[in-house]
Amino acid sequence: MSWVTVVWSAIAGAGLTLAAVHLLVWYSRRAAWASLCFSVMAMATAIMGFCELLMMHAQTPGQFAAALRWFHAPGFVVVVMLVAFVRTYLRAGRPWLGWTVCIARAVSLLLNFLVGQNLNYLEVVRLRHIPFLGESVSIGVGVPNPWMIVGQLSLLLLVVFVADAAITVWRRGDRRQALAVAGSILLYMVVATVQSSLIVLTAMDTPVMISPFFLGIAITMSGELGRDLLRSAKLADDLSASEERLRHAAEAAGFSTFHWDHDTGQATCSSELLALCGLPAVATPRLDADLISRVVHPDDQAAVLAGVRAAADPRGSGILDESFRIVRADGQMLWLHVRSRTVFAGSGRERRPLRSNGIVLDITERRLAQEKIEQQRSDLAHIARVATAGELTASLAHELSQPLSAIARNAEAGKLFLQDPSPDLDEVCAIFDDILKDDQRAGGVIDGVRALMRRREIERIPLDLGQLLDDVVALVRPDAVARGVLLARKIEPGLPPVRGDRAQLQQVVLNLVLNAMDALSDSPAPQRVVTLRARSAGSTVEVAVRDGGPGIPADKLTQIFESFVTSKPAGMGMGLAISRGIIEAHEGRLWVENNPEGGATFTFVLPAGEGGGTT
Amino acid sequence: MKETTPLVRVVDDDDSFRKAVARLLRASGFAVKTFASAAAFLAGPEFEVPGCVLLDLQMPGMSGLQLQEALAEAGHRLPVIFLTGRGDIPTSVNAMRKGAEDFLTKGAPKQDLLDAVRRAIARDAQARVDAARMDALHRRFATLSPRELEVLKHVVRGELNKQIGADLGIHERTVKLHRTAITTKLGVSSVAELTRLWMEAGESEE
Repeated sequence: MSWVTVVWSAIAGAGLTLAAVHLLVWYSRRAAWASLCFSVMAMATAIMGFCELLMMHAQTPGQFAAALRWFHAPGFVVVVMLVAFVRTYLRAGRPWLGWTVCIARAVSLLLNFLVGQNLNYLEVVRLRHIPFLGESVSIGVGVPNPWMIVGQLSLLLLVVFVADAAITVWRRGDRRQALAVAGSILLYMVVATVQSSLIVLTAMDTPVMISPFFLGIAITMSGELGRDLLRSAKLADDLSASEERLRHAAEAAGFSTFHWDHDTGQATCSSELLALCGLPAVATPRLDADLISRVVHPDDQAAVLAGVRAAADPRGSGILDESFRIVRADGQMLWLHVRSRTVFAGSGRERRPLRSNGIVLDITERRLAQEKIEQQRSDLAHIARVATAGELTASLAHELSQPLSAIARNAEAGKLFLQDPSPDLDEVCAIFDDILKDDQRAGGVIDGVRALMRRREIERIPLDLGQLLDDVVALVRPDAVARGVLLARKIEPGLPPVRGDRAQLQQVVLNLVLNAMDALSDSPAPQRVVTLRARSAGSTVEVAVRDGGPGIPADKLTQIFESFVTSKPAGMGMGLAISRGIIEAHEGRLWVENNPEGGATFTFVLPAGEGGGTT
Repeated sequence: MKETTPLVRVVDDDDSFRKAVARLLRASGFAVKTFASAAAFLAGPEFEVPGCVLLDLQMPGMSGLQLQEALAEAGHRLPVIFLTGRGDIPTSVNAMRKGAEDFLTKGAPKQDLLDAVRRAIARDAQARVDAARMDALHRRFATLSPRELEVLKHVVRGELNKQIGADLGIHERTVKLHRTAITTKLGVSSVAELTRLWMEAGESEE
């Protein structure tokens, strides 16, 4: 058995094996172009090894020259693939230099086939037989081809290209990669080039053996690629472990996840989410108006659709944050809360949504609890309202007695007019008109009281707070007159609307005004002024009720909003606690400050706008 | 006594009620003038016209009670009838104590209202007659000299001329002369009549 045959067969076999492995890698991951380059290079190296073997076993100078000529074909492929590998794998090297190397090598290949017998010899004159690895192998002796310099030049350029790429990689911080890949390429390249040049030029007594050096390069590169494969396998493991952890955490937290691909419009939902919405377990539904109309409660569809569209709007923030109800096929209603963020690509006009990732939380129980609290607050507010209305009885009696008395007086006068032998019918007509007017006025008072006292569902409608203040002032005016209090109004024109429950907010203002009037009971007449102010402040509307009374003792300022804390001898201490509850349920704030010039100011702010949450 | 139609003044901030009550009073034969506020009323010139005031207790600005006080301070003695939307006992007691003629709710029966107005007008007329009589009486006493007034005070106490002379340090005859002057000036014929006039003129002479 010949060692030369064994070794070179092993080289070819190793090259082909590596080529096959990385061809498979590329086949499964088409984006891994480095693997394809490597595979082709390893295959070419194997062919080079085969050509070398033919050369060593050549019987005539002609056979030797032919084998050497064909040797340059895989040699060209190896050089081109090395350049491609450096570009794709190391992401380094100057492109123009890479192209120059390839072109120079292509020119050498052309010269190889056109000038002389091959790139190295114009003519191989004879064969010499030298001992190598314990047997006799052939080496050529002949006239060197002067064009060989082009081939050497291409290899030199390749060395420069790789060295330059190595420096870039080194500077980038990937020092190990620079050393392993670029270093090995440089080392083997230089050794192989020097050795082959020496053989041809000085007729050194060794056969041409480029392929072992290139196999060295290939093995180093394969090692690098293998490391990458191992690393990506580990990453995949880590990723799946991380996904598993995330899934467990999501399960524990009770939320489900989804991923919305904007290119396909399809939403990949976790199985929990599909189950929650009553959708088939394997569905990737399109997140569109149709899906929303099938799943979401009719009252909430418009808001959800608007939210989803806003989340995909390239001009928006990409945040979706919406509470809504769904109705399942089994008729069960659930409250869900969705929160997601959209990732956009590009900028300016090119900006477009790529994908949204988000969670969905089942907040049904929380909402039911909230509704119960809301109901209790409403009940309590109703009780307080009835109590407040009780305080207003005298005022209301006055307000009602005015039109009723006027009606009585007018009716009596009318009767007297008609007893006249020639009654003034125009006057009688005017009397009837006045009676009707006063009847409407009395009806209005009763309606106002009924609206205040009625126990009913809480409704959120757009309200004009200025109008609301006017209504409350009309209600307490007689009371204020009787107490000698002047009610001043400073209402900014064109206030934005506020979404809220009319009766509840009226109750808050009423309560604050009655408190303010109570605070003035011991003040001298000129100071008996309650000022109601409404103005817009940023995205809120601010209402302040200011009195010129004694103010609130410093130690009571913070606790005055607590239940059963009162400074009034007859008070229950619920009014302010309920008022604050109402304002906070409207996503607003209520607070009190003592005025520098005496007295206290209660202020509340409510978010402006017709919209607002469904809370 | 001047012959003037009594005038009922209605002071109320509620347009509708003011109009209605004025209409009723006019239909019942009264002359009526209306005012929308206490200030408007005080600015008017008709205090000397006899009659009465129908006053709303609760008005913005100056209240009915304050207006009543202002009238009393200015010496106008027009009877005041208070009208209120509600029957508030402490307020009505207070008002009556300060000399209110009457206190009615706005919805009181027509007859009560008309009776109260008539009573007030009658009282005003009587008060004006009394005041006129008193004025005349005071004018008569004013014709006496200071010394004659001294003597008169002793006479009405029932003292004899001798006693009076001793008290005043004058002769009994001089006392007698003064007494003749007094009865002549006042136009009375007896000591009894003199005493009655003196009592009638009353405390104002004290």
